Amino acid sequence: MTKSLAFLATVAISALSAGFAHAEDIKIKISTLAERSAPGRVTNIEGAAEIMNRQFKAAGVDKRIVIEANNSAVKGWDDLALETLKALSVGQGPDIYVLPHEWIGQFAQDGYALQMDDRIAAAPWVYGDILPVLWESAKATDGKIYGVPQDAEIRMFFYNKDMLRKIGKDEAFIEGLPAKVEAGEFTLDDLTALSKEVVDGKAADYGMLHRPNVGIDYLMVFQSYGVKFMDEKTGKLVFPKAEMTKALGWYERNAKQGVTPVDNTAMSWDAIQGAFKQEKAFVFHQGVWAVAWQVGEKNGATWPTDKDGYFNKIGWIPAPAAEKGGKPANLSHPLLYTVNAKSKNAEIAADLVALATLPYFNNEHAVTSYHTAISNAQTAMPKYKDNWVLSAASPMMEHAQFVPNHTKFGSYNKVLFSGLQAVETGKMTAEEAVEFIADELELQFGGDIEIRDAASN
Amino acid sequence: MSNFQIRPHRPARPLLYLAPAIALLAVFFLAPIVVNAVIAFTDMGANLRVGEFTFKNFERIVQRDARLPMVLLTTLIYVTATLFIFNVGLGALLAMTSTAIPERLGNFFRGLWLLPRMSPAVLYGILWIWIADPSPSGLLNQVTGALGLPPINLRNDFPLFLVILANGVVGASFAMVILTSSVRSIPSHLTNAARVDGASEWGVLRHVVAPALSQPIRFITIYQALSLMTTYEYILLITGGGPVYDSTPYALYIYRRAFENGAYAYGAALALGLMVIGVAFTLLQWRITNMRSTFAAPKIEVL
Repeated sequence: MTKSLAFLATVAISALSAGFAHAEDIKIKISTLAERSAPGRVTNIEGAAEIMNRQFKAAGVDKRIVIEANNSAVKGWDDLALETLKALSVGQGPDIYVLPHEWIGQFAQDGYALQMDDRIAAAPWVYGDILPVLWESAKATDGKIYGVPQDAEIRMFFYNKDMLRKIGKDEAFIEGLPAKVEAGEFTLDDLTALSKEVVDGKAADYGMLHRPNVGIDYLMVFQSYGVKFMDEKTGKLVFPKAEMTKALGWYERNAKQGVTPVDNTAMSWDAIQGAFKQEKAFVFHQGVWAVAWQVGEKNGATWPTDKDGYFNKIGWIPAPAAEKGGKPANLSHPLLYTVNAKSKNAEIAADLVALATLPYFNNEHAVTSYHTAISNAQTAMPKYKDNWVLSAASPMMEHAQFVPNHTKFGSYNKVLFSGLQAVETGKMTAEEAVEFIADELELQFGGDIEIRDAASN
Repeated sequence: MSNFQIRPHRPARPLLYLAPAIALLAVFFLAPIVVNAVIAFTDMGANLRVGEFTFKNFERIVQRDARLPMVLLTTLIYVTATLFIFNVGLGALLAMTSTAIPERLGNFFRGLWLLPRMSPAVLYGILWIWIADPSPSGLLNQVTGALGLPPINLRNDFPLFLVILANGVVGASFAMVILTSSVRSIPSHLTNAARVDGASEWGVLRHVVAPALSQPIRFITIYQALSLMTTYEYILLITGGGPVYDSTPYALYIYRRAFENGAYAYGAALALGLMVIGVAFTLLQWRITNMRSTFAAPKIEVL
């Protein structure tokens, strides 16, 4: 008995060690936010590794790339950036990490993001066709590129057309809404009034819902009110009080009038998305990728998956202008693949990123997660063209802007969000919240931020 | 027999025997304190780098942090309310009532009250979120709805009350267990003698049971006050300290400053403050409640 056990153990050990000996494993760690609707961020890197492994094999190189994915369950992209920064600081960071673009400055400054300019120049077969505007989002303050854009996207207010029909609006009004918003005739206050009409008409429980955590969406509304986040000349973050008071005033009124629930910021994503999908909410403010759960039978209701059916039910508008005759605002928020400059496999990681950025791979990600294309080539590919959501969203890119790539923008945005939460929950008036934000910004950033009375001075 | 002879006297080696305990203390208690104290005097931010040593964090705490007075007030309300109403008050009530009823029933009720303590914190937190859910389908609002009252939103409108309630319900079991054993250890002849002398039920409670509980209650007060001051997991789970900072006591404030924004040095400086407050508070209570007598040998031993 013992003999046979010993024999088995020997066999097992030798088999195992033979397995280890046959190839050198190169472990590449990739870190991203866990998102059910966007598996492509990891699978594209795995696909790229597969190609390289086959090439290694064909060339007789005794190496094998093994991808280890970390799908983080933190609350949002900002928290992930902070978590990644912490991991990198103690030498435990991933080789490739997905980063919201405004964080690139911080990571570049700390030496954790590989500078990509030479690689981009050397590989026109992948990088030559990327939309130039996206490269802007990947630049740090030194003007060099430190990341490779992976998804472009566009944000909007989704509104439920069936509810408008229910309260007696005619088709001309319902279908004409986007054009009116474009022309600056339909303002944010009009949207509030319309939402109130829907709620008062018992067509919905909630008028408007937005994200429960720190993000980009509400910054569109701030922009509509003329808020500027950074002074282009000095490169300093700014906080214009007058415009912010107006912008927060809009959220304050929404909550006071019962258009937005006072605890929107304490709701879970599931509750918010479920409310919109189950047609309990009239307007939902997020981005094009939200269509991923809107179509089909997710989140407790079934919606049409075809273009006509969907647009018969739901309409899209950018953030309306704050005043009549103003311009609507829109933000795009690209995510970047960033290579850890400190990784001993940085070269291989950069090659993987290059392969995963090719139109084929990025298109897989774009069409499954409903993100817009990063290259011109993609827009001509059948899979992309067949995706009616993306073709419908592309024209909205026209007004799209980015948030500033300032090293402190992530923390700055967190403070803005707490001000938004303060007015919505009724804990502060817009004026008080602006003072609160100014005070917090002063406390956290000191001289790095300029608090101004208005954006123009 | 030489085997039974006392060994020649050897010097005792207390250090050797204490080494494991000292090592644990050093690694898990002293080292973090030292590291924290050092970080508190740096400018360490989100990238964990130390640029300079500075008093800036303390200057910020003392002079510029406008949130701090509110946070301290919140802490005071949270700790005293939870401690006296639930951790001591409800705990003592449970101990006394559950020992007054038949033993099996008493055990059953005590078991019930221990359930929240045994369930994972996250699960317990989610249960409270469901209870306080502001929609008409939330547990609390089903009750108010049945009574014809408008729905209430505890998490938004009374976050501190909710946090005290949730912490109190889970915290009462500690005192309940300790005080139950204290009640049980009261020799029955004392109660009997009191009754023979014509004492009412209230008289028995007041003059026999209460004196026996006073010493353990002192211990519970100090211990639970400290633990309430330093823990925040239920609050983080249920309200996240919000809306804004409305249900953020000091310990959670440290966490939010350090980990929500990566202001690690500032968090460390705040944590140093908590340590000072904790030590001062303990010494004060020690003095007021005459804790030394609790640790003294009993004057009589009743079997």
